[in-house]
Amino acid sequence: MSSIPRSLSQSGVGLRLPHIEEAVAARPNAGWFEVHPENFLANPHGNELLQELARSYPISIHTVGLSVGSASGLDRRHLARVRALVDRIDPVLVSGHLAWSTHQGEYLNDLLPLPYTAETLAVVIRHLQEVQDGLGRPFLLENPSCYLGFIGSTMTEVQFLNELVDRSGCQLLCDVSNVCLSAHNMGYDAVAYLEGLPAHAVRELHLGGFTAEEDESRPGHDVLIDTHSTRVAEAAWDLYTHAVARFGATPTLIEWDNEIPSLGTLLEEAARADQIAQRTLSRGSAHALAR
Amino acid sequence: MPSLAEVQQQMRDAVVKGDANGMAALVAGGGDAGRRLAIHQRHYRASLVAALMGRYKATAWLMGSEAVERAAATFIREHPPVAPCIAEYGEAFPEYLSRHVTTNRAPYLAAFATLDWHLGRLAVAVDRPAVARAVWAALPPAGLVDLTVTCQLGLYYFTADRPIDELMRLYLTDAAPDRLALPETRAWVEVRGNRGSLTFARLSAGEFAFRKAAHTSAPLGRAVEQAFAADDRFDPSAALANLIDAHLVTDLDVAPGARHS
Repeated sequence: MSSIPRSLSQSGVGLRLPHIEEAVAARPNAGWFEVHPENFLANPHGNELLQELARSYPISIHTVGLSVGSASGLDRRHLARVRALVDRIDPVLVSGHLAWSTHQGEYLNDLLPLPYTAETLAVVIRHLQEVQDGLGRPFLLENPSCYLGFIGSTMTEVQFLNELVDRSGCQLLCDVSNVCLSAHNMGYDAVAYLEGLPAHAVRELHLGGFTAEEDESRPGHDVLIDTHSTRVAEAAWDLYTHAVARFGATPTLIEWDNEIPSLGTLLEEAARADQIAQRTLSRGSAHALAR
Repeated sequence: MPSLAEVQQQMRDAVVKGDANGMAALVAGGGDAGRRLAIHQRHYRASLVAALMGRYKATAWLMGSEAVERAAATFIREHPPVAPCIAEYGEAFPEYLSRHVTTNRAPYLAAFATLDWHLGRLAVAVDRPAVARAVWAALPPAGLVDLTVTCQLGLYYFTADRPIDELMRLYLTDAAPDRLALPETRAWVEVRGNRGSLTFARLSAGEFAFRKAAHTSAPLGRAVEQAFAADDRFDPSAALANLIDAHLVTDLDVAPGARHS
């Protein structure tokens, strides 16, 4: 077993069920792990292994089923189950998505887009407050990967996120790959998006792979799909440099959910994130000293 | 702009039913934004069909992947998930499958697929500490009739008129012959799972009725009655001893007044 102290200052990896036994047995050189609670709540054996891992690593809980954007309300039973897991694991971070996935009791197994309107803002703020009260800790909200927007939106996504931070007290998880992908798909400037986020609220960064496919809506062009099935794209690594320069040293996570490779491949990607962050931060320090 | 609830109802219909008429006028992005709805429609279909195919691997082996996948593709439209944990999705699929797939070749399809479902549940179960023999020994015999027990969570009891447990074992050990006759023989089976391991046990009709009743929290007296109804040669002392020896009981609920003072 490694005696390397674990911390959020070293990049972490998203831990999926195919790797958990290996992670418990080998204690790989990852700074921390992030899990989806929905993978563990109906899996007592996985839960048992996760609790063992939590004794050696910081764990972050990243929900995919809380659906803070649903007009039909939160699933309070699910929130209570997540709270029970939070109490058992004592995670360093708890996060979810600016999206909706439930409707009238159905789970659509996707992170669906929201119109950015005053009505949606009120719904999400109400739910964020309920989630933060229910979990007894701050909740980080992740910017979505977008293929669609709404004609009726009255604010940009960045304006919407700023309003949420100001009015709900939530914090932000900036998925750098999502910014890269959404900027391409929706035609906006990714760096300007990062510049518009409230830096003080950004507490975590994500990097995941996406895949280009033919855009049926615009023949001859590509649309980027958030598949989490490949290495982080070069464009996302470039944007990560901007993100580190903008937000400073921030816990960073590599996500890979489909066609999952060896744990070693995930750790390679995490090491690359560490190198970029160190280089960017030391360049920032040198600039500060030179001033 | 319609209300958020109306937008989400229309998007739900677009994603689940493929009815994108209401949504196309509301969305922006790309050249023809309505066509990008197909990304979400594909994700819904592909992710849930993959979840069902992953959950019903033995069933796909038995019936052929194509037939099971076809049924899965319509099942997900008619029965969207109602829980956030995808591992909990699809319990109703065996019954649906048996109505939508020709079962001439496998009249035991629903029972086999139900067993397949439960194996997924049992494979991730964890044994809890069993009630110690000394605790059992301290119980007053007269109180046993009203005693209810809590059993390990990784248990499934089923009875079938063909030996589908044998068929499943062949699948799990990758040892199936090219042809296999499944004679009409009643089997009473207990399957137990713990941390990824699965064990199958054939029981007598009486012991099966006793354990199944105990597992569903019937008082032991009633479990014994059910066992005798199933098998008049049932031996309650031996059945109770077997239950204790197998470490199946994790908690006891002794009726008030039946406790030792």
